[in-house]
Amino acid sequence: MIKKFIHQFASPKTYLYQVSRFYKYIFYFSLVIYILSIIWGLFFTPEDFVQGNSYRIIYLHVPASFLSQTLYLAMAISSITYLIWRVKLAAYLIIAIAPIGAMTTFIALISGSIWGIPTWGTWWQWDARITSTLILFIMYLGLISLHNSFSNHEKADKLLSWLVIVGAVNIPIIKKSVDWWSTLHQSASITLTDKPSIDPVMLYPLMGSIIGFFGLVICLVLLSSKYQILHREKNKSWVKDYV
Amino acid sequence: MFKLEFLKLRKKTRSWLGPILVFWLIMLAYPLTVEFLQDKLEIGFFSVLWIALLISMMLATEDIFSEDYNDGSLEQTLIKNPTFSIIIVTKIFTYWLLIGLPISILSFVFSLGTTENLSLSLSILPLAIISSYIFLNLFVLGNALSLNKGSVLGALVTMPLALPVLIVLGKGLIAIQLDINYQSFIFLLLGSLSIIIVAIPIVVSYVIKAHLE
Amino acid sequence: MFNFAFNSFYEAIYMNGHGLYVWSVVILVFISLLGFFIGFTVKIKKIKDKLNEPN
Repeated sequence: MIKKFIHQFASPKTYLYQVSRFYKYIFYFSLVIYILSIIWGLFFTPEDFVQGNSYRIIYLHVPASFLSQTLYLAMAISSITYLIWRVKLAAYLIIAIAPIGAMTTFIALISGSIWGIPTWGTWWQWDARITSTLILFIMYLGLISLHNSFSNHEKADKLLSWLVIVGAVNIPIIKKSVDWWSTLHQSASITLTDKPSIDPVMLYPLMGSIIGFFGLVICLVLLSSKYQILHREKNKSWVKDYV
Repeated sequence: MFKLEFLKLRKKTRSWLGPILVFWLIMLAYPLTVEFLQDKLEIGFFSVLWIALLISMMLATEDIFSEDYNDGSLEQTLIKNPTFSIIIVTKIFTYWLLIGLPISILSFVFSLGTTENLSLSLSILPLAIISSYIFLNLFVLGNALSLNKGSVLGALVTMPLALPVLIVLGKGLIAIQLDINYQSFIFLLLGSLSIIIVAIPIVVSYVIKAHLE
Repeated sequence: MFNFAFNSFYEAIYMNGHGLYVWSVVILVFISLLGFFIGFTVKIKKIKDKLNEPN
């Protein structure tokens, strides 16, 4: 029954029509929330006592870094769905998410580096979180290049799914090991791992920016998957009707 | 099955001798890049050793499937044998025996030659033996994924997976030098190996099936 | 909660010397998002045009 439900609900055709229906609402809602939260965070929150105004990067950095991992998780779920139930839509989603995951990880890395200059006095620290984010970024690039190497899409999808799953098992191991490694070498004065207790005045715009960014990234995934479906199913008759 | 794989690999001298020689050359090249003073040699020695081990394992697995894939024997083996993953386990074991083990012994020799510390070098040996086996498994996965697309792609996709092992090796070495609970690192690596040794051949067999479908 | 944190518009841009860092991140994020949105929209438009072409 689950299989039947998945196949019916997750047909690329149904998905594409649903996407076209809801896309605009999600996009405008997220855009408004994101921009308002960023403006709120940048201009209407008090200056941080320790970091000064540079802390305002948090409103751009944290959503990206949160999404970089969430998107990998989404890829892993899609991979499992594809390998078990052979749902084509799941395969399209994996490769649709990969470049967006790479983008958010890139934003997280670069914004973190820029934030590091005024805060730590250096743009790069071999800190646990930064290193594991860098490894995650390399993994995203590896996934994209693996998929691009094969002209046979079905083969590429299967290989990609397996690699995503192996990578997903490895991500906590990488995080743990890097955490473990850096705790030995790094002085305790500079840690990203400890969560600062954040004041509600700063927390609300942060939550808003996370929700807004999340929505915008969902829109990107919808666009990217729409492209994948149109590209891969271009010979189907329903696609011609849709277009 | 093992005998067949062993003879097949032994015949291809370039495939098993090449990585060992590359490892040797890297370890010989290392002193040339630093001032020839004993204490300076020791500073970066183990980093070079682990990275040389990683690179030679990467080279070792370069053509593990490609030849069989090109001449069609891989497909035949897959059709004939329902337990394809057992063949992969045997293949990896053969590679480790002919390449990983000699390189691990060479690591011991180079370590003894550089540090002149027998107990330290003896402790390095199990770390090298286990980690070379783990690296082999990971790069076999990489090469299975990029079967006919060159080993660079395989290395790119599997290198991030090998990084935690390098971290454990680095920590293990510090534990040996400070004489603190070094066995726990051996057990940690053994634990990882016991999972990898089962999981990777299964994944590899599915990946190769996907290639041949 | 909604008090303007700066005394003037210039201060809000300059942010006590941290403006350069903050604004470069803002630009990075918005350019990346915009680039991806435009990129995908163009790609979809291209493929739609191709599909609409009479054979």
